[in-house]
Order: sequence, then C-alpha cells, then structure tokens
Amino acid sequence: MKLNSKGLLLLVCTLVLSLVVSGCGSNNKTQENGTSTKKNVKLDFVWFSDGDEGKVMENIIADYEKENTHVDIQLIEVAYNDLSTKLKTMVSGGKPPALSRISTSEIGSFSNFAVDLGEQLGGVEPFTSQFIDSIKPYYVIDNKVVASPMDVTANGIIYNKTLFDQAGVAVPTSSDDIWTWDEFNASLKEVMEKSDAKYGLVWDYTPHRWSTLLYQFGGSMMNPEGTEGTINNEAGIEAVNYFKKMHDEGIIPRSVWLGGENPNNLFRTGTVAAHLSGNWMVSSYKDITDFEWGVTYMPIAKNRSSVPGGKFVMAFQDSGVEEESANFIAYLSSKEVNSKYNQESLFMSPRKDSADLDYEFGKEMFALFADELNNTIPAAAEDWSKQTIIPKFSSDLKDGLVEVLAEGATAEDMLNDINDRINEAIANAK
Amino acid sequence: MSTKSIASQPNLITKKKRKIQIAPYLFVLPNLLIFTVFIVVPTLLGVIYSFHYYDGLNPMKYIGFDNYANIFTDDKFWSTLGKTLTYAIIVVPLIYACSLGVAILLVQQVIMKGFFRAIFYWPTMISFIIVGLTWRWIFGELGIINAVMVAFDNEQITFLANPFFAKVAVIIAAVWSRLGFFMVLFVAGLLAIPRDFYEAAHLDGASKVKAFFHITLPLLKPTTLLVVMLSMIEAFKAYPLMFALTGGGPNKATTYIVQYIYETGFAKQELGLASAMSVVLFIIITIFTVLQFKLTKGGEN
Amino acid sequence: MTPSKPQKILTYVLLIAFSALWLFPVLWIFLSSFKNNTELYQFPPTFLPQQFTLEHFINAFEKGNFGKYFLNSAIVAITSTILLLLINSMAGYALAKFKFKGGTFILLAFISTLMIPLEVIMIPIFKVLSFLGLYNTLLALIIPPAATPTGVFMLRQYLLTIPNELLEAARIDGAGEWKIYWRIILPLCQPILAALAIFSFMWRWDDFLWPLIAISDPSKYTVQLALSNFIGEFNVDWGSLLAMSVITMIPVLIVFLIFQKHLVNSMATSGMK
Repeated sequence: MKLNSKGLLLLVCTLVLSLVVSGCGSNNKTQENGTSTKKNVKLDFVWFSDGDEGKVMENIIADYEKENTHVDIQLIEVAYNDLSTKLKTMVSGGKPPALSRISTSEIGSFSNFAVDLGEQLGGVEPFTSQFIDSIKPYYVIDNKVVASPMDVTANGIIYNKTLFDQAGVAVPTSSDDIWTWDEFNASLKEVMEKSDAKYGLVWDYTPHRWSTLLYQFGGSMMNPEGTEGTINNEAGIEAVNYFKKMHDEGIIPRSVWLGGENPNNLFRTGTVAAHLSGNWMVSSYKDITDFEWGVTYMPIAKNRSSVPGGKFVMAFQDSGVEEESANFIAYLSSKEVNSKYNQESLFMSPRKDSADLDYEFGKEMFALFADELNNTIPAAAEDWSKQTIIPKFSSDLKDGLVEVLAEGATAEDMLNDINDRINEAIANAK
Repeated sequence: MSTKSIASQPNLITKKKRKIQIAPYLFVLPNLLIFTVFIVVPTLLGVIYSFHYYDGLNPMKYIGFDNYANIFTDDKFWSTLGKTLTYAIIVVPLIYACSLGVAILLVQQVIMKGFFRAIFYWPTMISFIIVGLTWRWIFGELGIINAVMVAFDNEQITFLANPFFAKVAVIIAAVWSRLGFFMVLFVAGLLAIPRDFYEAAHLDGASKVKAFFHITLPLLKPTTLLVVMLSMIEAFKAYPLMFALTGGGPNKATTYIVQYIYETGFAKQELGLASAMSVVLFIIITIFTVLQFKLTKGGEN
Repeated sequence: MTPSKPQKILTYVLLIAFSALWLFPVLWIFLSSFKNNTELYQFPPTFLPQQFTLEHFINAFEKGNFGKYFLNSAIVAITSTILLLLINSMAGYALAKFKFKGGTFILLAFISTLMIPLEVIMIPIFKVLSFLGLYNTLLALIIPPAATPTGVFMLRQYLLTIPNELLEAARIDGAGEWKIYWRIILPLCQPILAALAIFSFMWRWDDFLWPLIAISDPSKYTVQLALSNFIGEFNVDWGSLLAMSVITMIPVLIVFLIFQKHLVNSMATSGMK
C-alpha cells in the first residue's frame, strides 16, 4: 500500500479538518428545545459514581437548570480511583473545576483550595446545624466549611439469610439483643457447619473497614486532640489479634486480605455467610436473585461502634464562578433535594431531619445502619477526619495487618511501628 | 540532476557534504521538538520536585537532598527493587524465547498466518484490569483450577494467597499478555533477512539448526537488542498487571518498584519523594540500558 | 527451499497447541460478556454462557455516548499514527544511517524516557499543556504521544539491516536527502512501518492517563475514559466492562488484520540485484 505524497497530504488534511470541526462543535451545548437561551454561567462538576447516583444527579441538575436558566452545569465523570489525580492536575494547573463530588479521603488535601461555604451560605453554625454532628470533623476545618455533606455512610454487616436459615441460626432482631464478637463467631461457625457456607465472614480489604473492629474493642488511632498516637494500646493489640484469630480459624478466607480477592464477588457466590462492609452495598446487592440477604447488627466487643464516612460537594476557589457554585450547593443541601438524591440513590442522608427516607428498597436496612451510626464512638470520626495525618500511615497500617496475618510480625511490634509513624506525621504536620 | 560529474565541481561537493551534515538533525527535529516540550520539560520539573516536599497542591518546600537520604535508608525500597530485578531476570528471557519461537513458526508457509498471528497478538490489546480478571478466573479462589480440584474432591489451593504461586501466576499472565507484541517485532526482523542467505546455506548442505545459529541469530541482532531492552524496561516498570491480578500481594510478594513508588509517594501525598524515587529508578535502569547498548554495539552487525 | 512433511506437521502441531493455550482466556472474556450477573459471579465458574444475554451490551451503550467516544478515539488514533509513522521514521533513519554528533546520546535519551512513570510528571505535563493552550483539545492526545521512543528505536534497529550501498548509490546519482528518505527508505521499511502502525493505533486507542489529564469536556472523551467509569469505588460493573472491552477491541483487531499482511519479506522486492 504505497501512499504517494499527494495521497498522504490529502488524508492528513481530511483528518485535521474533521478534528477542527469536532473540536469546535462540542463547545456549544445542544439545546434540546431549540430555543437559544443564553447561558452565561458554566459550572463544571467533577463527579464519580459507584452505582446509579450519577443519573440521579443528572435529573437534579436538569431541575436546577430549569429554574435557573442562565446556569449550565456539566458533569465530568471520572472513576473514583482517578478523582485525586484529576482534581490535583486541574487545581495545580490553575484550571480548577467549579465543583466536585469528594469523599472524606480527599477533603483534607484540598481544604486550602475550597470555597468557604460558611461565608457564602450564612455562617458556619447555621449551615452545619442542618447535618448530623458525627460528621462535622470531616467537613469543617479550622472553622471553615470546606464542603457540604451529600450522603453519610456507615459500616455494617450484610448477611446471607438463606445460609443462616439453612443452618437454623438466628440473628439479633433488636438493639437490646446484640451479640458479642465471640457469640457472633460461634454463630458463624455453626452456619459454616450446618449449611452450604464455605466461609463465615468476608471483610473489605481497607484499614477503614478494619478500624471498625478497633473502635468496637474500645481503641482508637489517635487521642481526641490529635496530639499523639494511641493505636498500640491494649485495645489495639486485642483488635489485631482477634482479626488474626478469625483468619486462623478459617472463618475469614485468607484470599481477600492475602490474595487480593474481591469480597463482593465472594459474597455473591452465595457461599459466604456474612460481609462486613457498609450501606453502599445495599444498592449493589439489590440485583442478587439466587439467595436472600439482609442487614444485621454488628457485634459488640467492649462497645458498639461503626465508622462514619460520606460524600460531600466542594466548590473551588479561583474558578471564576464561586458564588454560583455555592448557590448550587445550597440547593443540593436543601432538605427536598438532598432527600430526593439519597432516596433515589439508596444512600443515607446526612441531614438531621431526613433520617427516615421513603426508600423504594431496603427501608429497614437503612434504619439499621442509622442505628449503627447513632451508636458510634466519637473516636471514629475524630480519627478519620484528620486528613493531614491519615494518608501518612493508613497504607502502612494495611500492610502491617497483612504482615501480622501472614505471621511476619506480632501485633505489638506492628502497632508500635505504626504508632511511631503516626507520631512522626503529627510532628511533621505542625 | 547534474550533467557534469560531481568530481569536477568542488563547490558542489562541499555543498552536498554540508547538506548531508545537517540532514540528520533536520530529520530528528520534529520528534526531538515534541519530545523536548512534552517530556523533557516536565521531567526537569519532576527533578526539581525531588528536592522539595510537595503534595501536589500546596506550595513546595525546599528540603535539599532529604528525599534522597530517605530513600537510601529505606530498606523496603531496596528490597522491592531486588524483587523487581528478580522478576525481570525471569521474565525477559522467557519473553525473548517464547516470542522468538512463535515468530519463527509464523514466518513459515502456514495457512491462515494472519489468524494465528492475531491469536497471539490479541492479549496485548486487552486492558490490564481485564487481564487480571481473566487470570484470577483461572488461578483465583473462585477460579477454574480450584473448581477442577473441588470436583476431584481435592483441597482447594489459594494460589494467589501463596507468595510463590502468586509470583508464578504474575509471570504467566505477563508473558501471556506481552508475547504478541514482541512476536510482531521478531516477525518483522526475521522477514528482513534476505532469503538468498538461506538458499545459499541449503545449497552448501547446512542443516536448519546450523542455519538458525549462523544466519538467523546474527542477522537478528538489532531486533534482539530491541526486544531485550524494551522488555527489560517494561519489566522494571511492571505495575498495572500485578495490581489487577494480586493487588501486589500476598504481603507485598508481587509488589514491584513502580507500585512501591506509587504507594509511598502518591498515596502518602508525597510527590517530591515519589519524584526522587523515580529519579533513582531512572538512573538504575539507564545504567543497565546503556551497558546493554554499548556491549552489543547498538545491535549493529 | 520447501520444508519437509514431518517438519510441516511439527510446525502445525506446535502452532495449534500454543494457539489454543493463548486463545482460551480470550474466549472466556468474550463468552463471559454474554453471561448475566448471577452467572458471572457463581462458583464453580462456567465457560459457555448458560443463559445467553445481551443485557451488558445494552446497558453499557446506555451509560454513555459511546458513538462519540469511538469517533474521538478513532480521530486520535488515526491522526496520531500517521504523524508518528512520519516523524519516527525520519528520526530512526537519521539515527541509523548517519554518524552525527549527539546521535547516540539522542537515541539513549529517547529510550530513557520510557523509564519515567507518567504519573510522576502528570502535573508538569498538565501545566505545559495548559500553557500551550492544548488543554481540553484532541490535539493534546495526538501530538505529544506521537514522539514515541519505542517507534524511533524500532525503526532505527530495522534500518541498521539495510545496506548502506543502496543509499550511497542514490547519493552519487544526485538524489536529495528527502527524496532518498521518501522514495527508498520508506518503501523498504514496509514491514516495520506496518508493525509500528499496528502498535501506534493500539497505543493511542488504549491511552488512558493522557486523556485523563488533558480532557475535561465529556464530548471529547475517548473510549478508555468512558470505560473507566465502570469501575466504581466499591463495585465494579464487570458485566458492562467486559461487554465494552470486547467491543473496543474490535477496531484494534481490524487494524491488526489489515496491516499484518504487510509483514512480508521486503528484501525480496528491494531491487538489490
């Protein structure tokens, strides 16, 4: 296939032309109704989805644009794993988006670049009083409201009803009836013996999920003021050893924390009795048809606890459209819109007045997760909200736990090491 | 087109000589220009970051050689580098041998050559996350090897939770997914060898094996250097495939240097440290590469 | 020199055995895209779909404007490949056939950039793109990646095997350097250019980090950017991912089948005799 110079030139020109055409054409948003409405404010909204919440947000945006015809909001969807990369390059490169959906892990890094919503939307106290107190440390930094809560998450236990029924084992039916970790393990063992279950429990491979156990044993990673590490105290050591014990006894499969196996996939095979995860799995597991599943109470060690988390919306400085962004955030945070968002996405609302949403699916499940949140010790949010310290050691904690499971280190040594890192990070942060 | 001979026009000689002297620079220019603007400049900026504490957002803080000092006292960095080296030493010869073998098969007169070549090339087109999923389907807890073992009433083996088997699985997946690429390079290289040489050898009574070692291999030197150098650099940078298949586990057994840089640097918001580590890695690989290049004289015959 | 019968049989046996091994996982990916979610996750896993379904393909297409993404990816891949073939062959030719100051240094410098993980220089790249006004344009995906070190290296090594006498003869005949390149070198490079065309199309088609950094306008998204959205924070939509991956592989496969025909013995047509 010999291309002579003329042919080549022609081909190149055609392609460059089509390029230019496609490049120009896409800058104008197509008007569906045909009227040429002048849009003079354009808001870029960086977004990530786990399930269908993107679609729900698109509908909400459409509603907002109808009422505010001069505003054009465009969702820029990225995968969650790429969110940090995307935002960092845009903010560092001087082209910040107007808004972004953001999780607790990123808020800390970007807090210096966020618009103070307290200033824009009527003051810190009035704004934050709308939302539950346990998540306040996440989005209020140095008395500045750096983001607005959209949904709140809680860790909890999802269990395979079919397997439990098959084994004839009951789960706690009310919060007065909660099982201890030992009782929970005993039940799991029974289910494993008397049913088709191969494993008792799968546990998400993240330090955030493991820390649920830490808090339930009465431990914490740092002291409330965040001035020193406490992870290597007795409670911490107990929590690590208990975690290891469950692996050694075959209740938790080694393939997740040691083999990179996906716990969701394992649970979906219907051969695992329970999954320690969180409320976000409700919408995901909705499509399971070959067995029945439900949500039940997490066990108590020294006390009950979950770990709060959530997703927020942040507006960025220097976007040129800070005021409009803040207004849109106010809209999203309002009771009506926030409830609609959470109800349709099957998330939990962070608003104090929206604890009881009319979910199409899983209403009792969300009530249970809300109960878990209400019985969470303060240390959980205090620890995880310290986003200048957490990134410095959380992956080491994860690695350390794996090492203990693989019998490469003792719980004490590992936790002492992590505690040193925590203290180092605290010292460096000053 | 000159009608006089060139020898009778001394000015023409120097003019031509000068033309030939600037010609290579002009030919290299477009590539060099793009490369400088989009790679060299950012890299230099990256090197600057390596002397600072930088989280990618807030202003950098100059810390001199602190990042480098950190690296030199970091045991895990060097042990991970060692693991990467071990991996490279195994994978590079494997890929070389397998891709050359398959290429030789596919330059013969076989029917449906294109079809067969496509089969070997196909894995290179598959994204790493799907490659990881695929091999997890074979080796994983829920995979077919275990399904077969269960069917025969044997105990399941969690391959990927076992450090040795995890490493083997990763090597198999890597060879499977990259062979097609190097096979194509070898096919092009093999086809550049004039058939006349083989004809002459056959007439001289040389066996096929002799022809391979005395004609094919020597004439394949440039391609061999290409394949070995590229596959070695790839092996040192191996990350997405391992991450998709084992997550770097169990217990860091399949975590190689780029994943380490990523986790230590990026996950901990330390872009400066990550840059410094990349500089160190860069220097080490460059030494290997330059050595290889000089030892083989650039693959020239 | 035709191979003997036993040799031919051996060749075929080896070929078929290895091909089966290589094809097996690929077939599984293809077949799995037609399995419903329950079957995808079940244990023991199945090979052939028990319940054939097209739902993943339908869902995946509904989730995004894939027609536009395919067009964007195609524009980028084709244009960048043409540019790459041109500038890489020029550079490879210079580095193989001319002894000039800085030649080896430039080659090794090109190759050394392969060792830099792109993630490390992401932010500086963004700043450069932004400075040049290339942010959010398809040109940012076409021009910078075209200067691949691998391509230059491939061409240089290949051109080393071409005898210099050919070029000398042309020069004595008074041919200009560009003419030599265009009329003699390029045709001789057919096989390696074909290989490079295959690779380049695939690389640009599969580019992810560059589009992630350079593009924010959803209408300019490439296929890979869109595919990444199937990977959520907690859940991966494996069904849609498998289905779309199968479809996105098709253009790359077509390019391969077209160009691999040009992997021929170019020396047979070199006119050396």
